[in-house]
Amino acid sequence: MLDTQPFREGEITVNGVTVRYRVAGPDNARVPLVLIHGTAGSIDGHYGYIFPMMAYRQRVIALDWSEPKGDTLELSDLVAQVRAVIETEVPEGTVTLMGYSLGAVVAAQAASEMGAKIANLILVAGWLKTDVHQQMRNHVWRALRDQNSPLITEYMTFCAFSPAFMNMKTLDDMIAAAEMLKMSPFVDKQMDLNTRIDITAACETITAKTLVMGGTYDMMVPKHHSKQLFGAIEDARYAEIPAGHAVVHERAAELFHYVDRFSAKPDAYPAGTIIPAQKP
Amino acid sequence: MTTNTPILIIGAGFAGLGMAIQLKRTGREDFVLIERANDVGGTWRDNHYPGIACDVPSHLYSYSYLPNPDWTRVFSPGGEIQSYIRTCAEDEGILPHIHFNTDMLESRWDAEANEWVVETSNGTYRAKILITGTGHLADGHMPKIDGLDSFKGEVFHSADWDHSVDLNGKRIGVIGSGASAIQIIPEMQKRASEMVVFQRSAPYMVPRWDREYTAGERRMCRRDPSVIEDMRSEIFWAGEFNFAQRRNIPRFLEEAKTLAVSHRETHIKDPELLKKLTPDYEIGCKRLLISNTYYPAIAAENTTLEASALARVDGTKAIGASGEAYELDVLIFATGFEAVRPPFAARIFGAEGISLDAHWDKGMQAYDSIAVHGYPNLFIINGPNTGLGHNSVVYIIEAQVDYILGALDHIEAQNVSVIEVKPEAEEAYMDKIDVMSQGTVWLAGGCKSWYVDERSGRLTLIWPDFAHSFRDENGSFHPAGYTTQSLTAAE
Repeated sequence: MLDTQPFREGEITVNGVTVRYRVAGPDNARVPLVLIHGTAGSIDGHYGYIFPMMAYRQRVIALDWSEPKGDTLELSDLVAQVRAVIETEVPEGTVTLMGYSLGAVVAAQAASEMGAKIANLILVAGWLKTDVHQQMRNHVWRALRDQNSPLITEYMTFCAFSPAFMNMKTLDDMIAAAEMLKMSPFVDKQMDLNTRIDITAACETITAKTLVMGGTYDMMVPKHHSKQLFGAIEDARYAEIPAGHAVVHERAAELFHYVDRFSAKPDAYPAGTIIPAQKP
Repeated sequence: MTTNTPILIIGAGFAGLGMAIQLKRTGREDFVLIERANDVGGTWRDNHYPGIACDVPSHLYSYSYLPNPDWTRVFSPGGEIQSYIRTCAEDEGILPHIHFNTDMLESRWDAEANEWVVETSNGTYRAKILITGTGHLADGHMPKIDGLDSFKGEVFHSADWDHSVDLNGKRIGVIGSGASAIQIIPEMQKRASEMVVFQRSAPYMVPRWDREYTAGERRMCRRDPSVIEDMRSEIFWAGEFNFAQRRNIPRFLEEAKTLAVSHRETHIKDPELLKKLTPDYEIGCKRLLISNTYYPAIAAENTTLEASALARVDGTKAIGASGEAYELDVLIFATGFEAVRPPFAARIFGAEGISLDAHWDKGMQAYDSIAVHGYPNLFIINGPNTGLGHNSVVYIIEAQVDYILGALDHIEAQNVSVIEVKPEAEEAYMDKIDVMSQGTVWLAGGCKSWYVDERSGRLTLIWPDFAHSFRDENGSFHPAGYTTQSLTAAE
């Protein structure tokens, strides 16, 4: 008999589009955890492990982004969706907000705008300001997309995973993983937004207790970006996971460990701490 | 003769030695370790059957502070693990502390003297602190089989292998299909003229990602030990990932099942045999096994899979519960260990003179998986709720050793003579374990396993969470759970 964890689905309308979200886990002493996925992601795609496992610990809320109207996507569109879900599901009290990749950028921006509502902030493989290294990757991606190249998903997969993780798989496994990525006009808009990120000023105003996590072998958003966030946010501590950008797949349990500990005791480490890795 | 020692450790396997090494490393010399056999190694000393190996990769299944660059394989043979343990004991200077051939017969709490009186096969010991490291896999379990005495051939248990028996060309019966059996069966299939496997229930099996390490890789590990550290981390967190299967989350359970089904169907083509090898419970409820050689051995021409338990023996015949009878020369019991009711517990008597086994009549339990109310100054390593279905128990042992080191520091700093768990702390801990266990595959998976105590239906052997959370929760001493009495200045 499977343990069918009860969850509830909800939807709200934000700027004329429907945003779907999911809620699970017990209400307890921990503040609710709100999860924001990254580019080309979804709740199941990026939080398939963290969402159900954290829901054994506490209340968890996650949303799937919805494509806003208009030709270009702005950070404010995604922040509005996150804000609406939080205001609907947690009208009173505070939340822990977690974002991954572009979701981390959204989370940081939301935290700067929402002030004390966001008591704790978890930023995984996020960044402060798009740099030339990222622009170069995005440029190649754009070219493949314009050529309608079938190699685009393999390129994305190659960039996403660390060599060590790939080497535990077969080439066929990796190609199969690439085939699961689906391109769409909404993904195009997210990739365009990725070239234009600059939340430097916003990060200076974040008051939330923040855990920043970078991946040692991240080639998409290398860890120096997480170090920059660690520096830019006043009350930040930093942890590093030996994974590629796809840390949510590669080291899901280790990521869970950090998220679980931080959610339980956000002030276990003072601001400025580089949290040592657990050595099993 | 009575030996007085502040700290007495029972058992020289991974647990007892791990404790001794850390005592020594933290500057304590005031301990004695008693061991019933004449060598260290515990289960790795006792189990030397053909094909023995560990199902946790060697670079993780070893002490974190004593990495070994020389493992020959991802899953090294049991003999290598045994050599590793012996080398650790030698290099860390533990051997002079070990009294070999010293079997603990009875330990009683002496409330007058505030110490444990331990009767052994080799004299009496008196110790202020008693630490057991007797393990889950210490005493082989022999099922009571009707007529076994009448068997004309050879009989032995997998943990007590009789190497003097020539198995070549014999008709061999293997009883069991668990972790030991599935290593033994491929070896017996090579030797036997005919082999019969008595299977009470079919195990789930997934491929074993084993390979030899090259000389260059071993040299790399010697030259740069950080490589070993990275491997440990990789193996550990990959193992942790699989806790989601045990937690019984459909998506991860299905992924594991898909892997197991494809492994089975790749090797087993006969539909009848496939049916017999298909488990009737959820994956992970019993230990998930890894092997590349088991299915080919079962499918071999000289193998018969009897899909029922061995029911009785009559002369040269071994008869399954199905009624099917087989003429056999050798019976090998790969029937596991006395894990749910560990024999050491029947030998330890607490403050009220009751044995731990009797005290645990509804199943094992301990505060922080280490201490029991009514049994002061006793710490149990690898006792209740410390087993894992998904990762290395050496990791758990190291966390428990750290806990005990903290307790010893506390005892010393506060001049404590008696330390005992508060009953309410123990109950609260067990309530927490019960809540964590609910819905896990061990309880909800529809199987009978050694992880669950039949008397209470409680999960008593397993820590029902991530291994890392065991260390987070039980890796340091919690004085608040204990009452203590201190020596007065006058004493």
